[in-house]
Amino acid sequence: MAVNAARDLPKAAAAAAIVALAFLPMAKMPAFYESFIYLIFFWVSLSTSWALLSGFAGYFSLGHAAFFGVGVYTTAALTTKFGMPFLVTVPVAAALAALLAAGIGAVVFRLRRLRGELFALLTLAVTFVIATIILNTPIDGGGGVFMSAVPLPDLMPTQTGTIYILGFAMCVLTLATAWWVAHSRLGLGLFAIHDDEDVAEAKGVPTFRYKIAAFALSAGIAGAVGGIHAMYVGFITVAGTFELTVGLYVVLMSVLGGARHWLGPAIGATAITALLYAFISGGEAIMGRAIVGLILIAAILWLPDGVIPAIQAWLKRRRAAAVTTRAAVVPVVAAAAPTISERSILQVRGVTKHFGGLQALAGVDLDVHEGEIFGLVGPNGSGKTTLINVISGFYPLTSGTITLDGAEIGRDPAHEIARRGVARTYQIPRPFANMTVLDNVALCATFGGPRRSKAEMRDEALHWIGFTGLGGKEEVLPAGLNLHERKFLELARALAARPKLLLLDEVLSGLNPTEIDNAIRLVRAIRAQGATIVFVEHLMRAVVELSDRVAVLNEGKLFALGKPREVMRDPRVVSIYLGKAYAA
Amino acid sequence: MLLEARNLHVGYGDATAIWDVSLDVDAGEIVSVIGPNGAGKTTLINAMAGLLRCRGGELSFDGADMTRVRAHDYCGHGIALVPEGRRLFVKMSVEENLELGCYLAAARAHRQESLERVYGLFPILRDKRRQLAGELSGGQQQMVAIGRALMARPRIVLFDEPSLGLAPTIVDDMFDIIARVRQDGAAVLLVEQNVLKALDVADRAYVLEQGRIVSTGLPTDLLQQPHIREAYLGV
Amino acid sequence: MPSATLLGQALISGVLAGGMYGLLALGLSLSWGLLRLVNLSHFALAFLAAYLTYELGTTYHVAPWWAAAMVVPVMFVIGLAQHWLFDRFKVNELASLLITFSFAVILEVAIQLYWTADYRRFETHYSTLSIKWGAFYIPVLDLVLCLVAGVLAVGTWLWLRKTYVGKALRAAAEDADIAAAYGVDHKKLAYLLSGMGAAYAGIAGTFIALIQTLAPAQIWVWLGGVFAVVIIGRLGNPLGALLAGMLIGASESIAMAVLEPAWAPVVSFSVLIAILLWDPEWL
Repeated sequence: MAVNAARDLPKAAAAAAIVALAFLPMAKMPAFYESFIYLIFFWVSLSTSWALLSGFAGYFSLGHAAFFGVGVYTTAALTTKFGMPFLVTVPVAAALAALLAAGIGAVVFRLRRLRGELFALLTLAVTFVIATIILNTPIDGGGGVFMSAVPLPDLMPTQTGTIYILGFAMCVLTLATAWWVAHSRLGLGLFAIHDDEDVAEAKGVPTFRYKIAAFALSAGIAGAVGGIHAMYVGFITVAGTFELTVGLYVVLMSVLGGARHWLGPAIGATAITALLYAFISGGEAIMGRAIVGLILIAAILWLPDGVIPAIQAWLKRRRAAAVTTRAAVVPVVAAAAPTISERSILQVRGVTKHFGGLQALAGVDLDVHEGEIFGLVGPNGSGKTTLINVISGFYPLTSGTITLDGAEIGRDPAHEIARRGVARTYQIPRPFANMTVLDNVALCATFGGPRRSKAEMRDEALHWIGFTGLGGKEEVLPAGLNLHERKFLELARALAARPKLLLLDEVLSGLNPTEIDNAIRLVRAIRAQGATIVFVEHLMRAVVELSDRVAVLNEGKLFALGKPREVMRDPRVVSIYLGKAYAA
Repeated sequence: MLLEARNLHVGYGDATAIWDVSLDVDAGEIVSVIGPNGAGKTTLINAMAGLLRCRGGELSFDGADMTRVRAHDYCGHGIALVPEGRRLFVKMSVEENLELGCYLAAARAHRQESLERVYGLFPILRDKRRQLAGELSGGQQQMVAIGRALMARPRIVLFDEPSLGLAPTIVDDMFDIIARVRQDGAAVLLVEQNVLKALDVADRAYVLEQGRIVSTGLPTDLLQQPHIREAYLGV
Repeated sequence: MPSATLLGQALISGVLAGGMYGLLALGLSLSWGLLRLVNLSHFALAFLAAYLTYELGTTYHVAPWWAAAMVVPVMFVIGLAQHWLFDRFKVNELASLLITFSFAVILEVAIQLYWTADYRRFETHYSTLSIKWGAFYIPVLDLVLCLVAGVLAVGTWLWLRKTYVGKALRAAAEDADIAAAYGVDHKKLAYLLSGMGAAYAGIAGTFIALIQTLAPAQIWVWLGGVFAVVIIGRLGNPLGALLAGMLIGASESIAMAVLEPAWAPVVSFSVLIAILLWDPEWL
């Protein structure tokens, strides 16, 4: 039971700390300490809420002050102008801030090429606009708002004690939310968005919805924090509330602690607030700011991922010898005789795709039969990968229809197509760089396949890791795999989604002959398990060996279709590959 | 030999894409490297242009060891690249793209003369010289890419898939231009997936498959090999 | 509705004030557009230069232009040093923003420690000079500032368009590998550009010393507006930065005259948001 005790120790310590902190105001300590600890709660809540979107999903917002400020002014306006009880205004503040974020998100997340800097700047600009509007309307009017007349509920013996306990409750709630998100389906999706949003979408993560949800949650918490902070501040001004440095401090605290970890921002916020306070109480407030600046520069240069990930990496290196999980190695069985039905699982009709003036697909018609291995070949630029991208929903169609198992999917978003049973691999492997091999595969099982419990998902992932020969690498990050392992990770991820239709984009390129033989055997085994496979490949030996039928694309059109050996001997096909004289 | 590679190893990240490749180009020669897609042709040519570091082996140009030379000093030795996909500076004018070719002092001294030569080869570029390179058609962009290389007054021009994405008639023109480049005195190293064209224009050729040279010889001899049929068509 | 004279005066002072926006935006736009480094400490450097000019002028009675001649080269060197840090650690766009923010905080503290948080005013007889033009008054210092900003913007624009070094910088911003294949030593040019950006901050600082009242916290006042100007003028485009600066200056000034003065920030940021939503590739 010693192991259990060691594992439960942090939990017990956390519970003890929560109880101790909750009863601290009863101890009648000087208000000075209460307000200092309140400030730590404040910054922990604010930076943790920031990280829900910006840290987890990687969309850095420089405008967190806007949502915080909306909360501050909601409470200020409702209590002073409408006489609403203070505690009632806090949820209203949260709701308004969340609504604002959802609105902004609904607009900006629609921009297909929204880059990180663009989001940072838009949120920054929104802060200035909101600040100006509040300044010039009766909400503030330029004179500031006094909160002194607003009654505080008597939760604690003293006023500062009450604010302290509210800040503490907010802080616990925020951390609990962050923990929950980090361990939920939402968090898994957000981490995937952080690493590679396009791939996340293709694996079934509803990226647009998740980003809005995270943004609203993040802003809502900031709004509630603002509502409470209004009482702490007492006299509210636009300049003080929407201070640019608020937005930047939140970023720096989170980055320092580790923005991708639920507890990271809390660590950063506590360290910086305590440090600043130490200098203030020592009468060196100004020097404190400079020291904090120096620490941050050093942290970003030497610990770009933050303190917590650095500690985790260090612990991991120490424990490297002990392997915790190991997937059973599933022998690749010789494929039984395939059963190909006449029913077509995929129907492509008159599909065209234009990029500006360039016509990548000029009306393609294809039928893929259930259970077959279907090769897609053609010279460079003939539209093979574009077709894969169109079927998987990465590119919207220009015209035409695509039907999967009788259902039209041509206009569905990529995550919906993934959920319906289409999985794909990428020519250049695109694993989620900050997730272990196990998490990479588990994510695809979670979002691609049917809904199952976490443990089932994990077993499913371990099964496919073993199937693709990656057993023993479960806890490794993708950077620790070589190219051929990363290619197989692509396969494991696609398989974990239990696809009806598997789209393979040049799985063999870059592999050596032995690895190619392995891969070919694996593809056969995959089909034997019941999937239909469409694969793009340049290595003709493999195409001829593997496919039941081959389609040749040329200049965006279907050029030839049939049994591989016949098609590749067709003089017309030879001529587009080698030039006319050679075919003759 | 002008350009000489011995047992070259090149790769990206942890993937080695070129294994143990030996290849040479003599002054005034056109040498083609053919091979299927993914064979490592672009990796090979990028290493010869200094854009990728060699992991092992020797690379020398006109007797000088190139493996320790920094990327931006390759051009000064007389090596110019016509990259895959052209990679023009699309927000700059046609003439500015050409001028970048003669960025180094030695070539800059001949700017006017070189410009006249390029405009002589591609008269259409003279008319479009103030237009943004990104606004040109694919064929015209390829002309700019070749012109940019010629502006450097190179002793060897490295062509990477010059026919990619071009209409068939324009492909013919491109190969005529490659022959002209040699007439003007520069050697040519060409990688191409259009086998017939590449062999037609070349003095000698290499076949690259999965990062290794599998065959070499005169174009007429290579054309007879059943192996090439198999590599390209799998039958 | 205010009178035509008032509007005209607002327009003139707005355009002239826009010169300061443009001048501050210039260096920022260059390093962001051509090096992909966002330098938040640009404003802190400008204020450091302003305080140095003030110190040289009040304590040692050095004329402002001589002060500029001394301060600007110092700024250039600081720019080189900053770039060394970015180069050494291969800093990306976002990290550069966070690092330079910290750097700005440190500079602010340094300024406050030496010159205190009190307001400082560098009184020269230039600050009261103005030209009367019909019904309008044109302050001489603002006019000179605009001329300097104009000369620098046009000069930098020409430098980027007409010289080989300028073209090489633009080419490397598009495709550094291919530029290197034609002999462009991008690293060396990046140092030059970073130094120039800081030197521009120095020049802006000289004018800040002459025109404004100095306080350490003022460093942050310019940040929002100048960022809007940099983006509206398009990254890496010096003429765009100047024109956008004057546009924003004029529209803010008119907004102040027509509406409440406090509405001014909405103008620049609404324009910015509209542009970014209309064309995300604008950035």
